[in-house]
Amino acid sequence: MSIILDEQTRVLVQGITGKEGSFWTKHMMDYGTNVVAGVTPGKEGQMVEGVPVFHTVKRATAKVEVDASLLFVPPKLAKDAVLEALDAGIKTIVVLCDGIPLHDTLQMRNAAKTKGAMVIGGNTSGIISMGKAMMGFFPHWLDRVYKPGKIGIMTRSGSLTNEVTAELVKAGFGASSLIGIGGDSVPLTRFAEVLPLFENDPDTEAVVIIGELGGTMEEEVAEAMENGVLTKPLVSFLGGRTAPKGKKMGHAGAIITAGKGTVEDKISALHGAGAYVAKKPRMVGELLNDIFIKQDI
Amino acid sequence: MKLFEYQAKALFESANIPVPNRVTIENDSEVDDAIRQVGLPCVIKAQVLHGGRGKAGLIQIAGEKEEVKEKVNEVKARSNHMPYLLVEEAVNIAKEFYVSMTAEPVTGDVMIMGSAEGGIDIEEVARTMPEKIIKTTVNVNEGLLPYQAREFLYDLGIENRMIGQGTKLLLNLYDVYWKHDAELVEINPLMVTEEGNFVAGDGKVTIDDNALYRHPQFSLTREHFEDDVQYAAAIEGIPYLQFSGDIGLMCAGAGLTNAVYDLVNDYGGSVASYLEFGGPNYHKAVKSMELIMQNEIKVLLVVTFGTIARADVMAQGLVDAIKEHQPEFPIVTAIRGTGEEAARDILQDFGLEPLSDTEEAVKQAIKLAGGIPIQ
Repeated sequence: MSIILDEQTRVLVQGITGKEGSFWTKHMMDYGTNVVAGVTPGKEGQMVEGVPVFHTVKRATAKVEVDASLLFVPPKLAKDAVLEALDAGIKTIVVLCDGIPLHDTLQMRNAAKTKGAMVIGGNTSGIISMGKAMMGFFPHWLDRVYKPGKIGIMTRSGSLTNEVTAELVKAGFGASSLIGIGGDSVPLTRFAEVLPLFENDPDTEAVVIIGELGGTMEEEVAEAMENGVLTKPLVSFLGGRTAPKGKKMGHAGAIITAGKGTVEDKISALHGAGAYVAKKPRMVGELLNDIFIKQDI
Repeated sequence: MKLFEYQAKALFESANIPVPNRVTIENDSEVDDAIRQVGLPCVIKAQVLHGGRGKAGLIQIAGEKEEVKEKVNEVKARSNHMPYLLVEEAVNIAKEFYVSMTAEPVTGDVMIMGSAEGGIDIEEVARTMPEKIIKTTVNVNEGLLPYQAREFLYDLGIENRMIGQGTKLLLNLYDVYWKHDAELVEINPLMVTEEGNFVAGDGKVTIDDNALYRHPQFSLTREHFEDDVQYAAAIEGIPYLQFSGDIGLMCAGAGLTNAVYDLVNDYGGSVASYLEFGGPNYHKAVKSMELIMQNEIKVLLVVTFGTIARADVMAQGLVDAIKEHQPEFPIVTAIRGTGEEAARDILQDFGLEPLSDTEEAVKQAIKLAGGIPIQ
């Protein structure tokens, strides 16, 4: 089992005929993803990698059953595309693009809540259930980086994820599912909202979160742990521990403001809730080894 | 993008939010005209983007013409690079409040915050006396509703006779927030005059960089940055920060850059600059090198581990940049991810050692900078 996505999930790709859309659709299908339809206004009747293209999401869902949608659209068009997918009744949507206007994100988050849907992103590499399916872009062909296993991973950063998963694989582990929630200041889905899915997934034995300075998402995870939402071991690695206050460290969400968002606060919250905290990417693998040795005893 | 006070107040004025009479000047030759418009006494305020202007002597009050000229020159001398000063009528203040609007990330609503402790460091109030902060949330699809504004103002302790104008002010401020894609609008202090009128004593507005295409009237200028390098980086769209250490960091991927930044500090090194050339910038190695070289660094550390940002393209870019700019400092590379085999060959052929381990790369950079990595 996996969370959110597996090889059965019927995936629609919005923006499938674009350069990135078609390139990554092929990659996804090679990996095992069940891509059933694509949408590009004006391109209905075309095929991409054998997948039929429709003008609109509603025209696609009228013909083909769809469980989830992945967006390859520019940030300016993200809000419209997400609202279109939500309106067509799609409950799982992954938004990859970086640079979505904040107010558009607020409106998307609001609409997703109203419709009871999970919209993931923006500014993310997407989601992958190892060895089964992916929605987004992952270097799945680098097997020293990506291996199926029993660790659930949530992350705010693509490049850092590759660094951490490589250490995890080196330590003898692999991932069950990996959810990139993205580096924006307002992620459309938050860490704490994904946590129950990992708790209920029998194939996930421990969870790794790759966080960073800024916002309160890691503190929310600590709170959820204290409330018993997660009973599995959790290892965290947080970037930006030594970052100065008030500087935006690359990601829009990575900034310490108004006395909130320091890694120190996050670490103390996570420690307090019983999480393991890795000071370096390498320590994620080492801590997992410790945890599973302990469990064997 | 942060707006200067004079820009924020112009926005407020166009949204019918009361602001003091004021004029923007560049030097003391404009003082006579300024006084004619705003009267005496007046307040002279440096138009800089950092906080703490009062403490830094960048806000001064003057009662007569010669004093205004003196203080204009004094403030001007203290505010590097910033050509503009605001000369503003001095308002008789009975009370000061704080009010701001920002995004509430957990719910996706807009958060309105206020305090009767205006004019002071609101972060400190939030930390030490959180009960003194009044909050209300606004559903973005409905916008701020008059009854919410009223509730908020009564909770803030606003007098009954001022609730009507306060409600209008908040609704107008919400319009400024929403129509201009603001990340933040803040009035601190929101002054109440002795006559019982609200006046915005200061204005902070930050426009969302991702939405600037919808607001072409705002553009980044040199005055927004401390130096030329930071300005040049921003114009290129390359995230760049400057520190005072030894090692220049050029990494692809913001999260990885953060992690490498920590590793450098943990192993006893120090970062000179932080440049992130991942995402859409991964083919901009030559430009990135140009920016890094404008800063004095002892070593350049290049670390990547990307998917779309291809390792081979970045390695080739790095080689091209070295050929073009001939940097004299040593360069340490750990370039991994998509196309890493090709990247390895490109670096090796050029005589650079391609490392595959981030920590090893960090330690080597510290050694080359003349330090000894802490184990």
